[in-house]
Amino acid sequence: MTPEIGYALTAVALALALYGAGAAAIGARRGHPALIQSSQHAALGVFVLIAAAMLLLVYAFLTFDFSVRYVAMNTNRGTPFYYRITALWGALEGSIILWSWMLSLYTLLVILRYRTRQPEFYPWVLSVMLGILAFFLLVMTIPAPPFQRLTPIPPDGRGLNPLLEDTGMITHPVALYLGFTGFTVPFAFAMAALITGRIGDEWLTATRRWTIVAWYFLSLGLLIGGWWSYHVLGWGGYWAWDPVENAAFMPWLTGTAFLHSVMIQERRRILKLWNLTLIILTFGLTIFGTFLTRSGILSSVHSFTQGAIGAFFLGFIALVLLGAFGLVAARGDRLKAQGELDSILSRESAFLLNNLFLVAAAFTVFFGTVFPLLSEAVRGVKVSVGAPFFNLVNIPIFLALIFLMGVGPLIAWRRASRENLRRNFLWPVAVGVAAAAVFRLLGVANALALLCFGLVVFVTATILMDFYRATRAKLLSGERLLPAMGGLVIRQNRRYGGFVVHLGILVIALGVFGSNAWSIQTETTLGRGEAFQIGGYHVRFDGLAASEESNHFKVTGTFTVANNGHRLAVMYPAKKFYPQEQTPIAYVDYLMGLREDLYLVLGDFARDGSQATIKVQVNRMVTLIWIGGLILTLGAALAVLPDRKKA
Amino acid sequence: MAARPVWESHAEVGSDASERGLGPRNPPGGGIGRGAKPPSEGIWRWGKWAIPLAVVPLLILLAYGFRTDPRAIPSPLVGRAAAPFSITLFSGGSLSLDELKGKVVVVNFWASWCYPACYEEAPGLERGWRAYRDRGVVVVGVDIQDTEEAARKFMRQFSLTFPNGPDPAGRISVDYGVYGVPETFFIDRSGRIRKKHVGAVTEAVFTGEVERLLKEPS
Amino acid sequence: MNRRGKFLLGGGVIVAALAYMIYAGVSQSVVYFVTPSELRAQPVAGKAYRLGGMVQPGSLKWEPRSLDLSFTLSDGKAAVPVRHKGTPPDLFAEGRGAVVEGTWTSDGYFKASLIMAKHSEEYKAPQGAESQAGYKELLRTLKGQPGNP
Repeated sequence: MTPEIGYALTAVALALALYGAGAAAIGARRGHPALIQSSQHAALGVFVLIAAAMLLLVYAFLTFDFSVRYVAMNTNRGTPFYYRITALWGALEGSIILWSWMLSLYTLLVILRYRTRQPEFYPWVLSVMLGILAFFLLVMTIPAPPFQRLTPIPPDGRGLNPLLEDTGMITHPVALYLGFTGFTVPFAFAMAALITGRIGDEWLTATRRWTIVAWYFLSLGLLIGGWWSYHVLGWGGYWAWDPVENAAFMPWLTGTAFLHSVMIQERRRILKLWNLTLIILTFGLTIFGTFLTRSGILSSVHSFTQGAIGAFFLGFIALVLLGAFGLVAARGDRLKAQGELDSILSRESAFLLNNLFLVAAAFTVFFGTVFPLLSEAVRGVKVSVGAPFFNLVNIPIFLALIFLMGVGPLIAWRRASRENLRRNFLWPVAVGVAAAAVFRLLGVANALALLCFGLVVFVTATILMDFYRATRAKLLSGERLLPAMGGLVIRQNRRYGGFVVHLGILVIALGVFGSNAWSIQTETTLGRGEAFQIGGYHVRFDGLAASEESNHFKVTGTFTVANNGHRLAVMYPAKKFYPQEQTPIAYVDYLMGLREDLYLVLGDFARDGSQATIKVQVNRMVTLIWIGGLILTLGAALAVLPDRKKA
Repeated sequence: MAARPVWESHAEVGSDASERGLGPRNPPGGGIGRGAKPPSEGIWRWGKWAIPLAVVPLLILLAYGFRTDPRAIPSPLVGRAAAPFSITLFSGGSLSLDELKGKVVVVNFWASWCYPACYEEAPGLERGWRAYRDRGVVVVGVDIQDTEEAARKFMRQFSLTFPNGPDPAGRISVDYGVYGVPETFFIDRSGRIRKKHVGAVTEAVFTGEVERLLKEPS
Repeated sequence: MNRRGKFLLGGGVIVAALAYMIYAGVSQSVVYFVTPSELRAQPVAGKAYRLGGMVQPGSLKWEPRSLDLSFTLSDGKAAVPVRHKGTPPDLFAEGRGAVVEGTWTSDGYFKASLIMAKHSEEYKAPQGAESQAGYKELLRTLKGQPGNP
């Protein structure tokens, strides 16, 4: 019965979502509050129905109900309890349920918050969000039903993709989808603004914190994805410019641009069209990201291969982009700027440049991702562009962005005087240059790393100087140090939250540039008792052991690691053999450190355990990326607090 | 992306404060021509539609993406004479391609561990074989890199009746440039490979291809 | 020049620089997909290729000590000898599909920098004889070895 009940739940939810979207729109146009009320109830109903469908699927997983095809495909009787729950979003159909549920949750939150506050926008926001929800429910009913019945019922399932049996892979999609779906809220407000013709700043101010939340979760999702890639996939890196990774990175880039350009519109009343364009692009890219990963039009390590669903997504993307930009064009006469740009040396233009570079980066990533398709369509030649392309083009862009990160928050609005520039940037520039010189003397020869370090020090100096000056001003007015600093951060939480996020990004940048410049790796074959040296480490192979786990066999190597003569650790990289998988899964072992990680991957081995091939990497500064992620979390939490200044 | 500097697309400073109220007085798409407009807006009037139009080529490209399969591996064998082979059948006896001259031959490479693609296509292949065997079509299953026990179980599960046999040394797979399973080759009556299908064969593909080859004069 | 002109010029310069970077990036890092027969027909030494084919039975040689790997990729019509330094990936074996990335050398072999065995969720490359029974055997031989964790 489970498949039929589940299917009924999704079908009813679809009908309700369609009704709600229509009711809200008609209610808004004709001014019938009762219809809007009814639409709210429909939204609540959709939320409950999707939640019920999700729980039903979890229940099917927990009870090994293999009459549901999705369950049979993604678990078997050996799958541990914990992973049976998370198997819910282990593949396409289930992740669409999760996605819709989050979207319905956001819809509910919007209702709770804006029911009475934004009478003009609110019904349209509701209508747009329910409409988008209806699309995902349609996908769940026709091309990718999670509750498809499987006959005959198999005695055991196929099992979860073993790569997904990891905490990183459990949290990664959740964070990513919270980010993706979160951008629906500002997008819906933008559409409401266009439809009602009230294209002022209200929709921006109303959605500022929603955007930060969405942006934060997207960032978190990307970072956890990198963590998973690094600790589980065993190729030794955290980012490969794979189409699926790019798909999540593009909305991050445009979303970041949006987060910044919003501030200019609030302050200077310009860039209205630009902001609308950015949020439409960001939302479009989240859908495009799903399309890329789910349609199978580009080959990728992670892509789910499904055919029919692609057509649905393509149609939806067409509808969203043509509809939204069509609205923009129709409202063109109201998108007049109420101010203008005064000088190139101003905060506006620093932010504008930042936007230009972020969008350029997004375009580059987009271009590189679809280039194989383009080449095949235009020239009929199958090609690919890999990581070298993305690195080559993006490194200068990101360096420029780091530089602007130092300039933007401190330079004056409108027109920066010579005095303003000297006062704010003389010291940071001097410190940055000095730091680069010191690093050079310390033996850092890599020009790119030097440039990156110098820039990071420069930006950090601007942030510290700003904070120092503000604190000093408070001290002079008689406050004590700690209350002064605390008060500053709390009262200007948006500004200082932003600064903390910037610090997090700087730490991540250090990790990325450092690890690219100095990581070393080698591959070697060792006999039992034999050892070799890498980067000051002495690695000895002590033997192999095999064991039988609940759902796989495991061959574990034992390696003793010493550094400068004293024993550091015994490491156990392993290979896991899952019966349902064609390939064994590498189980990476690593020693994590602030300065460097020692990273061991077991490769081939002799059957009698006398010999093993291992890949050894000394990955420098990678840990900084994860630390940067924590700092970023702090900053985002601070920035999202309610504005105290106005209250 | 807009070609013009969007932050300055209007030199005139205007106000939208006159438009207040709940309902859209200008329905989407209908609001262009309303209201007084400075004469310089002529270009903008049409130019603004450039943004939505810029989306169209992108959509076309993506739509094109569907017509191609990034996982499809072009086979140089299509259009050439199929490499001769003979296999020992699970049901006993043997079969060689030469005996099948003048018939349309569908060679399907499969394995019992290839789940779910091979499991999805097996019933359809069997139905296709039953429907077309009297019209001069032969389906031949080549089981690769498998154990005999698992293969027999697979054939029992789907009650396969078309000739099936193992490819012990991988000879046939190499001759046909097989990448993985399932892969299916359609051979015409004159013994030439006409189509290579990668992944599970749907009944529509099977029927379409077989009908096409049957219509050709032998 | 007025302010607007300056902004346009500045923006134009940046956009042109980006366009050039993309162009240069693509021409430097583009990799062509070929089959063994296409490569055989028109081999260009030094050009980056992605070559797909099947590993010919009997051609695979791997020396764990030196990590020298060599094999022949075939598409049923033409065959290309490939050399690589490193461990073959897990799915990699004779009679299976593989994609290698690298360059054609004037010495008449393909120098691979990267070896990918075909693998995806639903469309799987052939599995070897190593099955459940194989693992059990492995378990037995490795039991009682020194170095048990």
